[in-house]
Amino acid sequence: MIALRDAAIGIEGRTLIAPATATIATGRFVAILGANGVGKTTLLRVLAGALRPVAGTVRIDDLDPAAAGPLERAHRIAFVTSDDAPVDGLSARDVVASGRYPFHRWWEWSEDAADTAAVEGALAAVGMAGFSGRGFETLSSGERQRVWIALALAQEAPVLLLDEPTSHLDVRVAHEILALLRAQAKAGRTIVCAMHDINDAATYADALMLLGDRAMLAFDAPERVFTAALLERAYGIPMEIVRAASGAPRAFAIGNASGADPGS
Amino acid sequence: MDVPIRLAGLLAVALLALLASLLVGGSYLAPGDLLYALTHPGANTDVVTILWQLRMPRVCIAAVVGAELAIAGALLQGLLRNPLVDSYLTGVSPGAAAAIALSVVAGVAAPALPAIGFVAGLGTAMLVAAFARRGAGLDAIRLILCGVSLSALFSAVVTLVLTRAGADYAAQILAWLAGSTAGRGWHDLAFTLPYAALGLAFALAAVPALNVLRLGETRATAVGVNVARTQWVILIAAALLAASAVAVSGSIGFVGLVVPHLARRVVGGDARVLLPASALLGAALCAIADAASRSIAAPAELPVGVLLAFVGVPTFLYLYLNMQKAPA
Repeated sequence: MIALRDAAIGIEGRTLIAPATATIATGRFVAILGANGVGKTTLLRVLAGALRPVAGTVRIDDLDPAAAGPLERAHRIAFVTSDDAPVDGLSARDVVASGRYPFHRWWEWSEDAADTAAVEGALAAVGMAGFSGRGFETLSSGERQRVWIALALAQEAPVLLLDEPTSHLDVRVAHEILALLRAQAKAGRTIVCAMHDINDAATYADALMLLGDRAMLAFDAPERVFTAALLERAYGIPMEIVRAASGAPRAFAIGNASGADPGS
Repeated sequence: MDVPIRLAGLLAVALLALLASLLVGGSYLAPGDLLYALTHPGANTDVVTILWQLRMPRVCIAAVVGAELAIAGALLQGLLRNPLVDSYLTGVSPGAAAAIALSVVAGVAAPALPAIGFVAGLGTAMLVAAFARRGAGLDAIRLILCGVSLSALFSAVVTLVLTRAGADYAAQILAWLAGSTAGRGWHDLAFTLPYAALGLAFALAAVPALNVLRLGETRATAVGVNVARTQWVILIAAALLAASAVAVSGSIGFVGLVVPHLARRVVGGDARVLLPASALLGAALCAIADAASRSIAAPAELPVGVLLAFVGVPTFLYLYLNMQKAPA
């Protein structure tokens, strides 16, 4: 369970999100939505313990992530960042095996049976079992994202945080990744995922956390968050809400085909 | 080829290099004589004396120094994720050189010089690290900039001393600057080994974290690596290894920069095998260079550091540009 209690989120003295209270139950899949720069990544970093909340408290079960040691944190929280530092000379399997770092003391250099099972299981769970020997740099964007998620799964942490895992991916691959996260939530992992595609978020997430106007505008089921008023407030552009054949809500920004400056 | 087989191959290369460098020098030892002297260390013959009192300590020192510099280079290249880095980046060598130059002019006795070089080299590295601090850890760019700046400063000190010092002093300083194992004995090895062992212990403690750091600092932090602590452990390890090498052999460049690259080509980038492979290659390279320095112009000696640059750099460029990439 993830609990924010009157937690204000900010960075370098600037508050991005006013104090908010929210609880994410175990096994839920929550998508964080909001415009660029609104604080989605910062919120994830606070949940991951890389930053302290400006005010209030954040707890992962009974753990204060910012106060915990790096190893304890790694056992509880896995964080798939959007960091794109180059990874030279490692195979897909090498990358995933890094997720086993918190399970070893510094003198334990070799992989044990539990490591092998976790690494192979994680690769299989993301559909990359056949790629373990491939050089990471030779993989496509979608395959790399699967490998990063496999690394997080190999960490065997109950909480999985992801920063825009489907950006830069084509439609099919994005849906496959989200279905995979959905399955992980079903298996009992708590998933918090910053996303840009609001319709994909509404399709796969149990709840949407909508950020905007320096506050948490909404934290609720997709049907309730998908109102033109809320989404317009968050994204600053007129929105039209429709229902898909499945009954799921869909939102579309109403563009300006005449090309006039929307700011004027 | 499997990585363990490649590592065993490097071990064989290193042992052969050590044996070969025991054979040559001011006088050539026949393999039979070498075998006799190796198996009869107590015998009272010229060959035994030459081997055990003169040649063996030098070869061992060359090998240890080569291994130390290569490991230090591999550690820093991994930590900073920068292939252009070696242990001298931390200012160890110019710092030690400046202290030694000043000590020589001040009339400090020669036996005290290794200790002075070691302390000054280690001190310079720690000074660079102090400037490069950011939060609890180190800033890679700042570390490089401070290391280069302080190196320039201390090199200027050495140049100043050289231009002002008398010819005798200057010759003594230059001999040290050129990098040499001439005249080194068992006591020099005994001096350097404890620090080498300490540096190695720090290096080994950082191996798992060093491997995960190949994913970048952000991702390493996410899987539980204490990046700040790892940076300090690796920096201290590299500084200890480089300073104790510099203290007994002077400025031997090139080994720390290129040996890790060659080792990476042979065994890949996994620190668990890269560090031993670098150590073996560094030891082999320095032992061979030392043997060449003794024999090419015998009875005169050429400085190892100069020789390494002349022979090593073209060899390295050739190998690096032509070798097939090893599996990661």
